[in-house]
Amino acid sequence: MLNHDRLSQLTTLMAERGWDLLFLYGHTWRKDFFRCLINVNFSGPHALAVLDRSGKVRAVMSDPWDAELITDCPATADFSQGVKSLASRPASIGIAGMEMMEARFVQPFPNAVSATFDVEEIRRVKTPREMERMRKAADLADRGYQHFANVIEIGMAEYELVAEVEGFLKANGAEDNFMLIASGGTEVTGMKPPTERRFRPGDSVTTELTPQVEGYWAQICRTLVFGEPNDKQRESFAIFSEAQKAAEDFVKPGVNISDVARVQNDVFRKYGYGEYTGPKYTRVRGHGLGLHCDENPYILEDVNYAVKEGMTLIAHPNTYLPLSGYMVFGDSLVVTANGCAPLNHTERKLFQK
Amino acid sequence: MKRGWITWDQSELPRAAFDGRLHATRTLLAHRDLPALVVYTDVWRSNRVRHFSNFMPYWNRALLVIPREAPPVLLCGLSPRVYPWIKSVTILEEILPSPNLPQRLLQLCAERNWTRIGAMDFTSFPYDLYSPLAGKVEDLSFSDSPDEWEISMHRQAAQMAREGLVEELPHGAGRLDHDFTGCLERKFRRAGAEDLVILLTNGRTPPAPARGEQLTDAFSVSVALEYRGHWAKIVRAVGQPGIDASGLPNPQSGAYTEALSGPYPYESGESAIFAARWETAHNGLRLFHGDTYRRYAHGAELL
Repeated sequence: MLNHDRLSQLTTLMAERGWDLLFLYGHTWRKDFFRCLINVNFSGPHALAVLDRSGKVRAVMSDPWDAELITDCPATADFSQGVKSLASRPASIGIAGMEMMEARFVQPFPNAVSATFDVEEIRRVKTPREMERMRKAADLADRGYQHFANVIEIGMAEYELVAEVEGFLKANGAEDNFMLIASGGTEVTGMKPPTERRFRPGDSVTTELTPQVEGYWAQICRTLVFGEPNDKQRESFAIFSEAQKAAEDFVKPGVNISDVARVQNDVFRKYGYGEYTGPKYTRVRGHGLGLHCDENPYILEDVNYAVKEGMTLIAHPNTYLPLSGYMVFGDSLVVTANGCAPLNHTERKLFQK
Repeated sequence: MKRGWITWDQSELPRAAFDGRLHATRTLLAHRDLPALVVYTDVWRSNRVRHFSNFMPYWNRALLVIPREAPPVLLCGLSPRVYPWIKSVTILEEILPSPNLPQRLLQLCAERNWTRIGAMDFTSFPYDLYSPLAGKVEDLSFSDSPDEWEISMHRQAAQMAREGLVEELPHGAGRLDHDFTGCLERKFRRAGAEDLVILLTNGRTPPAPARGEQLTDAFSVSVALEYRGHWAKIVRAVGQPGIDASGLPNPQSGAYTEALSGPYPYESGESAIFAARWETAHNGLRLFHGDTYRRYAHGAELL
């Protein structure tokens, strides 16, 4: 439950910054800062891990059920009161997740500073135990996509397919899953939650599937076509495949994340589709993965960050192209000493049904 | 996380419901002499903005601005590529791309010559939004009084969870908790649930997310289910004689209560629509029970 590798790194950070206490805050949407030290999948609305310089940890939870699940350190279950009690003595405090904390919980600590950037930087390089969990999540993403491809059929509604995939992932150990989907033709400009739209012959079905296992998220992006893909769909997929490979061939320790975006976008530019790499048509060319499914750094040409060994990320050149409509393709990657290695093993192809 | 079917069925939640809510808010703004109200929403804390517009973000966060004398405006962190979809499932007609929410809000205020606006539950805004707006907005708190449509939607959510559990609980013993969770996910999502939080226990601990245990003859399941933006929570135990799985008409005295209809779901405490849960002992095991209720002045009604 307690991440002892992180505990050591965080107490070192506290000494460097001169903090007496470090708070790691989580809420229902973003549990990641809390779980980087206390890896418990809480279900109440708030959770705070409190670390002092000596390495002692305690937890302040909202829900009494959550507090009982924490066995490695003391835990209390009244969040508002617990936060107030922490303000009773003067201390120098850093808060990871301060920006997303409700203002009423920050106000008792007028001199607290944000520890978000520092803790994110520590979290980017995964420990061996964390890598085990990332691999489990990536394996489940592969199996989840296989299930997706197996059960999808003409006439099924998007939300019914998502129900099938969610059921499969949860039955196979996922804590959660972030999933977007789209179906149709060249009119499709992006993915969203499932609708009642039913699949038709010739549809292109895109999905970004992101199961969470023991706290850690891995992602896979694939596109499936009902029937024989047409020439334009094939041409489009070839561009996406080349762009993803360009990223994978390029990623290694020391390279700038902006260049990981650039090498993908250059493939689109080479084929005359450079305008489709901007914010009008797409969001990012990938992002970090770990205890949050959309971690910094975002892979964009205007983001500068030196890639480090042990980072986990996904490179996905997902965007709209007039050839095919919105298309997606990407795998989770781990940065190795000399390059990177895929965590997913699903066949790299334009799927057909 | 919201990732299920987000939709707007006007036969169960008509446009008139939103018009009535917006009218009441504008009346309050007139009393306070404020030109507009801003309301925060994100993936989890979406009750308030859903109440006014049926908008529920599946990702990112947003601010809903309700002018006193104009239609509502959504300041949205999501890409304009999904605005047609947002418009198809909400009452919203004007959506402004807003990568920097406070900056865009202050710009809108300047464009419309608003010197000071109201902010609903302002001290509960995320700190990074609160800081740049502090001193520029007025904190407004609203009473939690759900209308007939809201009560009806919570009732549907509760019935869906209750009926699904009654059907599946007899088939739980002997199965892995992961497997049983998957079965419930599939069933409820196919029935239209938008989001689910499923917790289980064999009676040695409180209910928790599945952890790879085989369910025994005495186990408890907690299902928090969101149906079109409206939450319910049902807790049922298998293995204790005398427990009626179809409905728990009154919360036990001293039960733990969680808000369902307030600003944010599952805060502990009082709200007009609430979940109550309690614990009993049987053969040395802890069994858990609970349901979803509407609060009256002198009691509670099972939804």
